[in-house]
Amino acid sequence: MEAMIRLEDLTKRYPGQAEPAVDGVNMSIPEGEFVVLVGPSGCGKTTTLKMLNRLIEPTSGRIFLEGEDVTDVNPNQLRRRIGYVIQQVGLFPHQTIADNIATVPRLLGWDRRRINERVDELLDLVGLEPATYRDRYPKALSGGQRQRAGVARAMGADPPVLLMDEPFGAIDPITRDRLQNEFLRLQEEIRKTIVFVTHDIDEAVKMGDRIAIFNDEHQIAQFDIPEALLTAPADDFVRDFIGTGAAVKRLHLSRVGDIELADWPTASTATDPASLRRRLTESPRSWLLLLDQERRPAGWVTSQSLPSDAKAAGSLAWPAPSSGGGLRTEPVTEAVSRDATLYEALDQMLGSRVFCAPVVDDQGALCGVVDVDALAKAIHEMRSSQNGDAPAGERTEEEVG
Amino acid sequence: MPTFLEILSRQWPRFLEESIEHIQLVLASIAVATVIGVVLAVLTYQHERAASIVLAITSGILTIPSFALFALLIPLPLVGGLGFRPAWVALSAYALMPIVRNTIVGLRGVEADIVESARGMGMSRWRQLLRIEMPLAWPVVIAGIRIATLLIVSIAAIAALVGGPGLGNSILAGLARIGGAGAVPLAVGGTVAIVLVALVLDLFYLAIARFTVPAGIRHD
Ligand SMILES: Nc1ncnc2c1ncn2[C@@H]1O[C@H](COP(=O)(O)OP(=O)(O)OP(=O)(O)O)[C@@H](O)[C@H]1O
Ligand SMILES: [Mg+2]
Repeated sequence: MEAMIRLEDLTKRYPGQAEPAVDGVNMSIPEGEFVVLVGPSGCGKTTTLKMLNRLIEPTSGRIFLEGEDVTDVNPNQLRRRIGYVIQQVGLFPHQTIADNIATVPRLLGWDRRRINERVDELLDLVGLEPATYRDRYPKALSGGQRQRAGVARAMGADPPVLLMDEPFGAIDPITRDRLQNEFLRLQEEIRKTIVFVTHDIDEAVKMGDRIAIFNDEHQIAQFDIPEALLTAPADDFVRDFIGTGAAVKRLHLSRVGDIELADWPTASTATDPASLRRRLTESPRSWLLLLDQERRPAGWVTSQSLPSDAKAAGSLAWPAPSSGGGLRTEPVTEAVSRDATLYEALDQMLGSRVFCAPVVDDQGALCGVVDVDALAKAIHEMRSSQNGDAPAGERTEEEVG
Repeated sequence: MPTFLEILSRQWPRFLEESIEHIQLVLASIAVATVIGVVLAVLTYQHERAASIVLAITSGILTIPSFALFALLIPLPLVGGLGFRPAWVALSAYALMPIVRNTIVGLRGVEADIVESARGMGMSRWRQLLRIEMPLAWPVVIAGIRIATLLIVSIAAIAALVGGPGLGNSILAGLARIGGAGAVPLAVGGTVAIVLVALVLDLFYLAIARFTVPAGIRHD
């Protein structure tokens, strides 16, 4: 299949500068792939991105979009086929959110009804309630909301390609994390071909199907899937750029649902303390996980939290009374979903008294747990599969789909 | 002998008529200056040299004494002569500088990211200017037009010297027979009327700004 975007020896020399800002970039990006350009400041990421929609004209080389050579076509027409999101978002402050999102559909001459429907559809898609936000001005939105409106605007006429230049760069870390996750979920749905610029390797590893690392010579040092980049850096530059903690970063790449989960002793919240005590003595673990009728984690118990006089309490209904001889349970705060990354599971585990992160399905019911052993096993498997190149190839095939 | 106030009140239809002429002259000049000034600004705001040349010329015009400018226009064909036309031409020239200057400043003040995202979405240069840059620069542009108006309201009094319309005629008539009966009330009345005209026009611009500055960038 023809690549969605293909770059051939793309080079940019700014007038009066000895070094090229981008030097001979070759790249082929299949449809639906999320490619991240990453590298130190000034390495040419933005210049490369802006050559794709010809905001910057290349000095030499060719650009192909869907097989068509677009290096010399009318740039305005080209840009209407390519969504563009920048760090500062650049929403038009004098236009409502709806008018902002309608920009490209209007340029393409859509009729009013179709535009209105499209605006509402896009607002829904990025999680902004249309009735509330359609007629607001950008100044009445938070930074995160503006960012989402910017993404909606870039998708106005449903372009096959989105270009994003540090779209989450100016947002506080917590909101950024949320927007990243939201955007990944959105991408599952929309399956656009995305070229995304960041200087943050962690963001690159988290977001990208493939990552292109630019070096200080303004060339691509390595263009590969994140796993390969982390396990087999092409040269010292890439190794230094990834920095320490490559092994930990790899935990971002596996999802809890993909590894073998461990078992953990459980009991129903209706179990009486005497039986709980018995279960605890029989079990190798010092904590029991209590489950409610729907098998949702309801609390942790350990032998100290059982009433000293087992006869004092009868059958215990959850939530257990916390005093008066009743059962004292620890709340379960460390549960993760199946699509959480191993990194997130590890984070929960380390914050847990029990050293274990229960994994729950969409209904909140227990599927198993991630504990130290499960994690060690997963890491071991990751390592051995990386040494053969097979999984990397498999993944690329899958993404190309 | 009639008192000052009696003369004023007897003359008031004259002041009213001259005020209306005065406003017409000022607004006609502002209209011309706005069209020329905005076009000059749009053509030059992205070119440092061209912009400074245009600003130097329009500022230069402002330094010509108004009396001299009106007189110099008298012998010229087309733009010159006596009456409304030379006054109109001279006042338009005086009004240029604040309008050009503010339009350039306003257009340059539009954030680069906003223009870049307009360009990045495939807006033509013309459409960017009309739909994005001008509306965003508009508060500054309208402030320039307002300053230009205040500036030429008083200069317009000189128009009477070349036979032009407006309140300058009352002032001129009063000054011509100074010492005679009713001279001072005439000159003072004309002057006060000019101040009132300026106030009325200022309120007019406030209203225009209120209705033409887009809601998303208003500070209220
Ligand atoms: N308009 C310009 N004129 C001349 N040189 C430029 C221009 N724009 C960028 N450069 C130079 O080109 C090189 C690449 O710039 P570019 O903006 O692509 O970097 P970047 O990788 O996006 O960096 P950052 O992470 O800081 O955004 C830099 O050395 C920069 O100084
Ligand atoms: Mg950049």
